[in-house]
Amino acid sequence: MSSASFNYIRAAELTDALARGERAGAAYLAGGTDLLPLWKASLTAPQEVIDISHLPLATITRSGDALTIGATARLSDIAAHPEVKAHYPLVCDGILASASGQVRNVATMGGNLLQRTRCPYFRDAGLACNKRDPGSGCGTRHGENRHAVLFGGSPSCVATHPSDLAVALAALDAKIVVSSANGERELALSELYPLPGETTAPDSSLRPGEMITAIRMLNAARFANHATYLKIRDRASFEFAVVSVAAALRIEDGAIAEARLAAGGVAPLPWRLEKSEAALIGRAPTEEAFAEAGALAIGGARPLEGNAFKIPLLRNAVIRALQTAGGQS
Amino acid sequence: MKNRTIARYEGTLKVTGQARYEGEMMPEGLLHAALVESPIACGELQSLDTSRAATLPGFATLVTHEDTASLKPSAATALIREKAIHFHGQPVALVAATTLSEAREAAKATQASIAARTALTQMGQALDQAYEPAMVGRFPASTRRGDSAKALSEAGLVVWRRYTTAVNNHHPMEPHAVVCWWEGKKAVVHTCTQAIFGTRAMIAHAFEMPPADIRVLSRYLGGGFGCKGQLWWPWMFWAMLASRKTNRPVRLELTRAQMFTLVGRRQETAQDLALGFVDGRLTAIEHDVIAQTSTHAEFSDSTAVYTRFLYACPNVTTRHSLVRTNEPQPVPMRAPGTAPGTFALESAMDEAAELLGIDPLELRLNNFADQDQENSRPWSSNSLRECYRVGAERFGWAERRARSAAKVGRWKIGFGMATTLYPAIRQACRARVALRVDGSLLVQCGTQDMGSGTYTALGQIAADALGLSMDKITVELGDTGLPDGPFSGGSQVTASIFPAVEAATSKLRAALASIATADTTLPLGGKPPEDLEFADGMIRSRSGNASERLTGVLARAATDGLEAEGESPATDHQKLAASGMGYGAIFVEIGVDPELGEIRVRRVCGAFAAGHILNPLLAKSQYIGGLIGGIGMALHEQAVTDAATGSILGKSFADYLIPVHADMPAFDIAMIDEDDPHLPGGVKGIGMLGTAGIQAAIANAVYDAIGKRIRKLPIRIEDCL
Amino acid sequence: MPSSFALACHNRGRTFQCHGDVHHMTQSLNANIPKQSIALSIKINGTRYEREIAPTATLLDVIRDELGLTGTKKGCDMGGCGACTVLVAGRRIASCLALAASFGEADVTTIEGIGTADRLHPLQDAFIRHDALQCGYCTPGQILSAIALLAEGPLSIDDIREGMSGNLCRCGAHANIVAAIAEVGGL
Repeated sequence: MSSASFNYIRAAELTDALARGERAGAAYLAGGTDLLPLWKASLTAPQEVIDISHLPLATITRSGDALTIGATARLSDIAAHPEVKAHYPLVCDGILASASGQVRNVATMGGNLLQRTRCPYFRDAGLACNKRDPGSGCGTRHGENRHAVLFGGSPSCVATHPSDLAVALAALDAKIVVSSANGERELALSELYPLPGETTAPDSSLRPGEMITAIRMLNAARFANHATYLKIRDRASFEFAVVSVAAALRIEDGAIAEARLAAGGVAPLPWRLEKSEAALIGRAPTEEAFAEAGALAIGGARPLEGNAFKIPLLRNAVIRALQTAGGQS
Repeated sequence: MKNRTIARYEGTLKVTGQARYEGEMMPEGLLHAALVESPIACGELQSLDTSRAATLPGFATLVTHEDTASLKPSAATALIREKAIHFHGQPVALVAATTLSEAREAAKATQASIAARTALTQMGQALDQAYEPAMVGRFPASTRRGDSAKALSEAGLVVWRRYTTAVNNHHPMEPHAVVCWWEGKKAVVHTCTQAIFGTRAMIAHAFEMPPADIRVLSRYLGGGFGCKGQLWWPWMFWAMLASRKTNRPVRLELTRAQMFTLVGRRQETAQDLALGFVDGRLTAIEHDVIAQTSTHAEFSDSTAVYTRFLYACPNVTTRHSLVRTNEPQPVPMRAPGTAPGTFALESAMDEAAELLGIDPLELRLNNFADQDQENSRPWSSNSLRECYRVGAERFGWAERRARSAAKVGRWKIGFGMATTLYPAIRQACRARVALRVDGSLLVQCGTQDMGSGTYTALGQIAADALGLSMDKITVELGDTGLPDGPFSGGSQVTASIFPAVEAATSKLRAALASIATADTTLPLGGKPPEDLEFADGMIRSRSGNASERLTGVLARAATDGLEAEGESPATDHQKLAASGMGYGAIFVEIGVDPELGEIRVRRVCGAFAAGHILNPLLAKSQYIGGLIGGIGMALHEQAVTDAATGSILGKSFADYLIPVHADMPAFDIAMIDEDDPHLPGGVKGIGMLGTAGIQAAIANAVYDAIGKRIRKLPIRIEDCL
Repeated sequence: MPSSFALACHNRGRTFQCHGDVHHMTQSLNANIPKQSIALSIKINGTRYEREIAPTATLLDVIRDELGLTGTKKGCDMGGCGACTVLVAGRRIASCLALAASFGEADVTTIEGIGTADRLHPLQDAFIRHDALQCGYCTPGQILSAIALLAEGPLSIDDIREGMSGNLCRCGAHANIVAAIAEVGGL
């Protein structure tokens, strides 16, 4: 358990936080439900922890067909929010499949997207991990790798992204609002997560000092009637996904007009299944169409020794999620 | 003895947060300790650089193998006296400091220099180096009854399979902790232990002190399941040494991660099992077990031992062998031996039933062992057939064929059943009772309550013996200042305390009877003692309409109250006229989602026969708790060693999965009361029974649901796709 | 805002820096961070406590070690077991994952604030009657978690099971715990 001390700074204003956040050794603390375990396990050693949980960043605002959720909104508040429940049930499903009630009451929307991988080699300071310690190697590749990626891995890293919420948001084409001392920028959720390189595996594309301040969904309520988050895990609750699938359909006159599929537990980021999506367009929501989408989902999968089972599992999960989403009315 | 429901004695203290666990003692001047761990799995400690640690704020002292040299060598000090590194995470030093974070900081700043040797990190790497231990617990490691090789060659059907089980960790919710200090030459040790007297004896040996100078306390214990025992002692000794060096109280509490490496685990097994049948009767069994032990100590579960008893079979050969690896040391864990052993045996019986084309329950009934063939003794009592009957009826086993093809939503339904068993034995025990003039009773016994209900059982036995209500009873346990009681393990405590408390209370009854009957002018005067009964705070004559209040009797001639001690001996296995064994039949319904591989246990019916049940409420809790432990072993729990480093992977509750509320099936528990004339009070243990058998029942149900025979634990998604 | 910490924070109207509260200037390991000390003023079970705490202290550390309210248990210290569950403004949280310095204004309830032996909370009473505990170490967390869960809205048995899954129990008291909660929840 960790020990290296840090200074605690409570940010009273966003501009202060952003100015401090640029400095080396700074870390933002929102819910702290990932930062503290990382710190306790000596996986991170910030010199200064900047508490942003008291900043007024927890609001939900609707403007036209855009919904903007403040980054420090607590997961449980968003899952219980009437607007989100009514129009973005996929977001609620993703949240409620995450962690435990205790954690969801504290963990924030922005923090959830930036939680670090659960790869056991990353989570143990004594083991080789390029993500944590670039150049130290990857223990997973030739070690225990049941949890590892099927897609998007590199020689340096085969760790998955653990967030359920991110998978749901990826299916809804969510945008991330990022702030820094230099201003604000907006990026697609997929742009938040870089693929691992040959030697390094950064978690996010955020620059030093940048902070997620909001999550924005544009016209995403159109999927409200046909959306589901399917999470497969060893025990029935309180476990990270072995594989998960977010499916969102827009069905018009008995045909699939739009399809969005994202998978969790299989890649360094929520993995959009674009070929499967394309194959569904214009089709009736039939078993045949779903089976084809499932088959296309696993193209290009590159398993390691211990995780090949995720290939049929992903295929079946895509089919099941489509059955559920397509069967809703 | 009465069978009645009594709420848990210490329940109010526990639900209000007032029960103080031993690690929560906060003496003045307390130092906190942290361990420096080896980053490699095999080697030899060359040096420890403490120069930086010693300058850090709060640093108080450091304890290493050099300090341990002052302790007398024994099995409990072996690991901390030498420089050899046997496993990844092995502590090489203990640091004490003013605060916990300072201790951890200093531990991190302590640099260990270790000459590395090649580590053997997995049992599979060295199966050719397996060796046979002398004993597995109190049983011989190898046995041979008849000629199994010959019988197998002549059998009409042979089922010969390999079954494997994973490493499990105990993970009581309360991490191991000690708060200790010295009062001159005397030591006070508050610690999580399942054996206060065993702990005291080991301290006395290691520190070469009279036992009377050591007080060990364990009054509330946040679970144990086998891991709050001998492997904790070395680190507790270090805390005591740190306290002696600093002359201040020291507290050491393990982290959850350390509970994967330092305090034991259920060993992994690879079991080769051959069953031979002629006309549906078992004619041969061979059960070979290979299991892991560490390079610094030896332990073997009694995995194949139960195969010697469970079924009638003339030709039985069992063998245990061990492979030493640079991994943590195993110890007994709830249902030791019988959990992995019945997984193999009861899975194989299911496979045999399938091949023989008969119902698995019928196959078991046909092969019922009506005596202990291994020891050529009768059973003290054996209601296994009643367990099968009652369990099958309550579960609806007869619907199995009709239901097997059933689907409920996404779940394919499967039924499975298996047998569980565990020996009924007793330890030596002493107990003291003190009746005060106000009619209240103090019951004292130096045992522990792991959560299994020992406080309640002690109180209830004494209350019933003297006809007192529970609100008159005070129970004290968990302190070596009390009479020697049993360690908490092997499902033996209730059976052990019963005769001791009975002996003590019968002395009080005799004393009270002699007072009550002495004065012939009083209602009970002159009555024969055997005519008296104790109930409702009264002493009554069974024959006549006479009675007197207990307090009245005391006030007359025992104004200082009455005290008595009782004791009872341990089971003498050489002199037993009959073998004691508790049994159960476990029936499960599971759902498997064959596309997604998920498995959920939907309902469990356990029918158990374990002698006389003292308190059905607490007994039912024990059975259900045991079953849940078994579900974890069957479907979730697996500690994995990284082959390259020997490090245990995922040392957290996020990685090592134990069942949660959402995993819970519906439970139906049937308790079949047995009269057992051979056992005092007819008491057998119950704590282990739920944790065996259910693994095979689940595996058998998976087969029933999807036609896949899984011969490994845990059964996971990838096995069912 | 009753907390002195929070007062300081808000009075300055900008990022709070702990200059006035730096008590020790000793060097910490690995980083030249001056040791900070934070004046925490926190309300627990209706009582206000003022303590100087380390910036790294969790709410669990403060409750259990500083204040000696040992009814709140440390099972894993990583948010994985729920033994440390406390209520903050009626919501359940894992106190081991809460940085105490961030909870200066919090109104915290621990098991000691729920009921006493003479006046048990209905859930405490139900736990005893249903024998919803064995070793008792997870029990305070289970009870606090259940109180918050029942306050979150109407529930089915499956909702209780899902909602209580953040509270591990190793003795296996789950069935009785859910029965106790269901009874108090009127199911």
